[in-house]
Amino acid sequence: MAELTIGAFPSLVGSMSLDFAFKLAETAMVKGHKVNFWLSGNAVMMAKKGQKAFKDYSHLEKRMKEMIAKGIEITVCEACAEARGYHKEDVPEGMKRASMDWYLAKTVKTDRLLHIGGE
Amino acid sequence: MKLAVFFSDWRRTEETFDRLKADKLGVILVENGIYHAVVREGGKESPVLSKAGATFYALTDDVETRGFTAANISSKVKLVSYADIVDLIMNDYEKTAWL
Repeated sequence: MAELTIGAFPSLVGSMSLDFAFKLAETAMVKGHKVNFWLSGNAVMMAKKGQKAFKDYSHLEKRMKEMIAKGIEITVCEACAEARGYHKEDVPEGMKRASMDWYLAKTVKTDRLLHIGGE
Repeated sequence: MKLAVFFSDWRRTEETFDRLKADKLGVILVENGIYHAVVREGGKESPVLSKAGATFYALTDDVETRGFTAANISSKVKLVSYADIVDLIMNDYEKTAWL
């Protein structure tokens, strides 16, 4: 088992990259790898619980909760969240908030890093 | 260095791509990046596929989502699954880049 860290900046709506990142992370977990997931920039849209699942919109909250239950570590950029009006009480259960230091520390010690830039 | 480069869009990114050098280079086409594997503008393949020494992959899910099949894919490109991409990242390449 190795460790994969994914840093994702694209938004949930209007970009396919966040969907890709979650599917990749989920697959890596199924294959027995430890996965760390950093959400920053517009990807902090995931830091708002209670998002409604529309048929034609990406909806990752359910998948994210299932992945958290299986051991993935998902952390959002606290400053990015606050800048967009997402506060501590908005965060879905199991998700963490931290400063960029968290991500930097992971990038140093992880076996593999995939950094997916924003729009 | 063994480098895997992800292309996620059809937008022109060859300038950055051209500057990337690696002992072993893999190009993984995902999302709209898969169009590099199927579109032949003016009868010519995407310049991305002309990178010397590179190995090319395209995510099957994203190919099929866009209505293409293996028959539409350049013979230079190998179709892969999410599980294959995880293995490429973990076993075949040391670093990744997202263009």
